[in-house]
Amino acid sequence: MNLSFFTDGGGMHAWAIATAAMVAAGCGLVGTLLVVRRMSLLGDAISHAMLPGIVIAVLAGGRPGGLLVLLGAVAAALLTVWLTQVLRTEGGLAEDAGAGVAFTTLFALGVVMVTAVASRIDLDPACVLHGVLELVPFDTVPVLGFEVPRAFLTAAVVFVGLSLAVIITWKMQVFTAFDAEAARAAGVPVAAVTTGLLVATALATVAGFEAVGAILVVAMLVVPAATAELLTRRLHRITILAILLGVAAAGIGYLVAWWCNTSAAGMIAVVLGCEYLLAVFFAPDDGLVSRVFTRGWFHWRVACEDRLAACWRREEMAAQGNPLVVANRPNLGERLADRWLAITGRLNHGPRGWTLTRRGREQADMVVRSHRLWETWLGRHADLPLDHLHPPAEWIEHHLGADVRRRIEAEVGTRASDPHGRSIPPEP
Amino acid sequence: MTGIAGTTPVVGGILPLTISHNTLVVACGVAAVGFAAGVVGCFGVLRRRALVGDAAAHATLVGVALAFLATGRRELSVLLAGGFISAMAALGVLVLLRRFSRTRDDAATAIVLSVAFGLGITIVSGITARGIPGGAGLEQFLLGHTAALTAADAWLLGTISAVAVLLLLLALKEATLIAFDPSFAAATGWPVTAIDYLLVTLVAVMVVVGLPAAGAVLVTALVVIPPVAARQWTDRVPTMLLLSGLFGVMSALFGVAVSAVVPRLATGPLVVLASAFIFLCSFVAAPDRGWWARHRRRSQTEFERPNPPGGDQSKPPEDVESFST
Repeated sequence: MNLSFFTDGGGMHAWAIATAAMVAAGCGLVGTLLVVRRMSLLGDAISHAMLPGIVIAVLAGGRPGGLLVLLGAVAAALLTVWLTQVLRTEGGLAEDAGAGVAFTTLFALGVVMVTAVASRIDLDPACVLHGVLELVPFDTVPVLGFEVPRAFLTAAVVFVGLSLAVIITWKMQVFTAFDAEAARAAGVPVAAVTTGLLVATALATVAGFEAVGAILVVAMLVVPAATAELLTRRLHRITILAILLGVAAAGIGYLVAWWCNTSAAGMIAVVLGCEYLLAVFFAPDDGLVSRVFTRGWFHWRVACEDRLAACWRREEMAAQGNPLVVANRPNLGERLADRWLAITGRLNHGPRGWTLTRRGREQADMVVRSHRLWETWLGRHADLPLDHLHPPAEWIEHHLGADVRRRIEAEVGTRASDPHGRSIPPEP
Repeated sequence: MTGIAGTTPVVGGILPLTISHNTLVVACGVAAVGFAAGVVGCFGVLRRRALVGDAAAHATLVGVALAFLATGRRELSVLLAGGFISAMAALGVLVLLRRFSRTRDDAATAIVLSVAFGLGITIVSGITARGIPGGAGLEQFLLGHTAALTAADAWLLGTISAVAVLLLLLALKEATLIAFDPSFAAATGWPVTAIDYLLVTLVAVMVVVGLPAAGAVLVTALVVIPPVAARQWTDRVPTMLLLSGLFGVMSALFGVAVSAVVPRLATGPLVVLASAFIFLCSFVAAPDRGWWARHRRRSQTEFERPNPPGGDQSKPPEDVESFST
């Protein structure tokens, strides 16, 4: 594929991609706040329910993407949320059931209206569901001498407006998102912030309505934000990442769809889904692979350290003149650990089994030191019988660092021996 | 289901209609679907899982399209089987995401719903763009179109609905128990998870069977609105099931009838609007729970406040068992 793909036909593909990207950016921005506030399904409900508002606005003479349509969509969105609230407070309906009633009804109303008056307005029932990104570049308006697609212009204006609004109210948004009660107590107008978020959702959604349709815009709202949330923790990073992920998916999805000759909006949702799945598996901290790997690595380190410490104790007893005669036959994991320790130069295979090398002894010193320091400290502070000191120490010996060991030693005394009367190896 | 054979000319209203045997069977089949969806949906609503069915519904499109691609036929049973498999797969993914990822439950539902729908749209558009014969009809599964159903299709839908209702009745006691007190059910040794899965599977079955009537986008309304409407009238599960089924039948018949008269209108939105109307009536007029009754009670209690609490007959019953919040 060369550059002419983007410039052919007055930059048709470039405009379509730019429109999708602009829509995705607006949705990613708002979607982050929705997702962290556990309002994802409200985004779903709003994107369905704004349809009758749009149809009425179009019937009243508004042009798709025009101000009247934006207002109609916002009104319908607020109506949905208000209906859900009324159903909850007046009818005792659970929130999901109330939303389920409200948005399906409004969407059905919208579809019937579209079908009934389809001949009089340029709204297509199919476009309502999955958009026609491919046709966006053909409906242009002149801006500063350039022919700019109207959908792109709407999306761009909405994105800029939303960005400004979010930046100005950022602190209030964050406070409300993480602790609405505290925010209310601190004087943040929580209800206004929430309503603002709903209006923003409606705007972002209606801007994407024509390009990607009512349902796939939900993917743009929720999926990039949820993906970004797996990748990083700070809210501003999540927001920026969500916007970038959405934009990337818009570009990739459009190109793949063109190549496969299928719906661009659908493919963008699929690409977003793939991004999310990749994050579920490979996110640096929260990914499944990283979690499994971290846990596996930890178990392996514990196994190796336990083998080193066992060897250390055997040698200590031999040095005191009572060598351990009966040794448990090592299991497979322990044998693997021995092998690995030998390869990395920490154990040697001698005539009397495994012996520690100098490096191995240094490491084992620290494990045993952690163990015995902890036993000593526990023996002083917790009223535990002597034979109950070993298990907690056996666990924590893998977690204590040099700093903690020094502090414990400072407390229990340098010359101390452990409660079993054995000496504690010194810090190097 | 019907003993009428041949055609029965019916003259009524403005238009003289000819209701054929086929139309009648289809109407009965869709009514059965409405009934079963209403009944099965009750437990979805009671278990606060109203929108899980929505995720399953949006995912059916993938299976329907793939089943069409794989077999090359547009037989309803094949398409619905595909839809069911993909709906169950979507629910499986949902369960896995909730278990293994840090994503919140509501976001996971929205992700599964929208991405599965996007995949379905992609496949359907691909089929349409390649001009595979018969592929154009797949768009009917978006909004539902009962006019295309044959009598055999209707029998299939009716049979599956009957089986779904039977299964639910068999598990009625257990389902009621876990709907109201899952912790007690778990403590007394009932397999709560298994029963939950059975209920969710039944909802998925009804969502799939409801596809021809309501379409992937709106079919969730079939399993949500009638139960919610029925809930307004009663506190008893059997009554709620029956009422909900009845409301489902009424809305389904309305949808079929209107879309038969005005073929331009898809069935799904009409069914939803009919059940929404029933819900509105229930919400306003139901005794005890309805808006009107509450309103009157509220104004009455205001007047009768000086009365001793025990003598106030208009006080709402102390329904400790009540499951609304």
